[in-house]
Amino acid sequence: MESENVVIIGGVAAGTKAAAKARRENPDLKVTVLTRESYVSYAGCGLPYYIGDVIKEEKELVVKKPKDFLIDYDIEVITGIEALKIAPEEKTVTAKYLSDGAVREFKYDKLVLATGASPFIPPVKGKELGNIVTVRTLTEAFAIKKLFRERKIKKAVVVGGGMIGLEVAENLVHTGIKTTVVELAPHILPPFDQDAARYVEKYLKEKGVEILTGAAVKGFEANSRGEVGAVLVEDSRLEADLAVLSVGVRPNVELARECGIQIGPTGAIAVNSKMEASISNIYAVGDCAENTNLITGRTVWYPMGSTANKTGRVAGINLSGTQTKDRINGVLGTSIIKLFDLNAAKTGLSEREAKSAGYDVVTALVPAPDRAHYYPGSRDIITKLIADRNSRRVLGGQIFGEGVVDKPIDILATAITFGATVDQLAKLDLAYSPPFSTAMSSTIVSANVMLNKLAGKFVGISPLDLKEKMEKGAVLVDVRSTEEYFVRSIPGSINIPLRELASRAGEIDRNSEIILYCRVGLRSYMAFLKLKRMGFEKISMLEGGIIAYPFATE
Amino acid sequence: MAEIKINARGLQCPGPIVQLFKEAKTCACGDILCIEVTDHGFKKDIASWCKKTNNILLSLDEENGVVKARIKKA
Repeated sequence: MESENVVIIGGVAAGTKAAAKARRENPDLKVTVLTRESYVSYAGCGLPYYIGDVIKEEKELVVKKPKDFLIDYDIEVITGIEALKIAPEEKTVTAKYLSDGAVREFKYDKLVLATGASPFIPPVKGKELGNIVTVRTLTEAFAIKKLFRERKIKKAVVVGGGMIGLEVAENLVHTGIKTTVVELAPHILPPFDQDAARYVEKYLKEKGVEILTGAAVKGFEANSRGEVGAVLVEDSRLEADLAVLSVGVRPNVELARECGIQIGPTGAIAVNSKMEASISNIYAVGDCAENTNLITGRTVWYPMGSTANKTGRVAGINLSGTQTKDRINGVLGTSIIKLFDLNAAKTGLSEREAKSAGYDVVTALVPAPDRAHYYPGSRDIITKLIADRNSRRVLGGQIFGEGVVDKPIDILATAITFGATVDQLAKLDLAYSPPFSTAMSSTIVSANVMLNKLAGKFVGISPLDLKEKMEKGAVLVDVRSTEEYFVRSIPGSINIPLRELASRAGEIDRNSEIILYCRVGLRSYMAFLKLKRMGFEKISMLEGGIIAYPFATE
Repeated sequence: MAEIKINARGLQCPGPIVQLFKEAKTCACGDILCIEVTDHGFKKDIASWCKKTNNILLSLDEENGVVKARIKKA
């Protein structure tokens, strides 16, 4: 029997994963990868660090070279070739060599689309000027590095405050460039909730990154050399000799659309859990394909490296013709970012997403040390837990701070995947000794705080609502020691240490709304219980204490 | 001039800053306070405390997860 032809269009993460997996499953397959680029199988997510010189040389980013695929896997990788047309009836792909324009036809039995996604370029004036770049491919990153070698770049504007934009901004700062991030959405890191995003914003500003939110870029102005000289943002003009566009990516679906493959509601290629597209014998994987949200079951589009590799593997197994079949039921959009010494991660639904999905949402914002507070190296992390009041199911989480966040976010991702309730989360048997965690780990503490909240044991308010409440006459009481209050406090607060609360409660007007806060929330909870016993009625506590407070303190 | 060593490792809420207040009250001008803490937030606190009290922060280092500050009482 003649061996089956597998043609894969695209050769970064998902494409090469599908190719390698298909080959391992069925060594009789003839696998060909076609890619427009000169590089394959490279670490796209590492590009910002290459710009910042954390990664010194290009070879560190290239996982495998085209010839490695031939030698190691017997997979033919053809670079510099662009797929022009798919003919599903004939089962052919027509492609053109970029070097000489020669056209060649490839016959397939199974076709995998791994065409990826491309940066969205905002349609504004001057977008084609020199030194306006995107950071998506290795080739683009090389060009930026070359520019740094040739010219001293002083000021940069990063358009887009998503994960990649912020990573690029940090790395530009490391190379000594004064950097401003401009974000159109009300806050940076749009997938995160505002309380987490504002915290990150405050941190980045302390590190010297300028950040403008809710600000639209209107255009780019040229300097005398015809390169970018300034970025026009709303009514102002930001001088810049480099502009990085990082306003998100769009799936590359033209090839699929033109041959009649169904495009889903998100604009990416519609697929089932086996990664099959709407036309038989065609699969779509990685950033060009849609995903399913594991919690809501809704169709989503999460263009992420971790998901790309998984979907590539699923398609590789399914198309190999062996008995084994594989499925991916959904993803949570789990993601993580490091910015200077700050880490931030998210999984599942944000508060905003959970509300729009119709859940009766309850949240808790809880700071805790990442390991025993007395063990050197301990750092605070803040957990925002999101759950459904009715089913008590954990829906999502966001964890941020200078401590270890990858472990607790992965605990949450695992818990959510298996449908855990907040009650179950609170009783997880997690590893503990002082260098690693606390006897009651941050995850368990946050679950317990939420259980208290669900039971109505305290009333919490979000730091985002504090300002408005104070403007309406709420009294903010800091129950930490006078010394802590002296060093740093929230503007407009008064100080009554917890130990003096019983004797000084008379100083507080019973008729006003009283908001209590401390460092993390424990002393304010005790103060809450104390005042409640004394007959105070309109009391609440600031969730997350001063540690998680994302605005200016004094 | 005396050099006063304060071991505030392991202190959490209300934190090492309270310890520092106590010692600073009793020592003389020109004395050096050396404090070691494991509370990382102290780094920010100490800078703010020195600014507000006019004491002089001579050095602020971190070694193997322990924050060490040297302060000259003004």
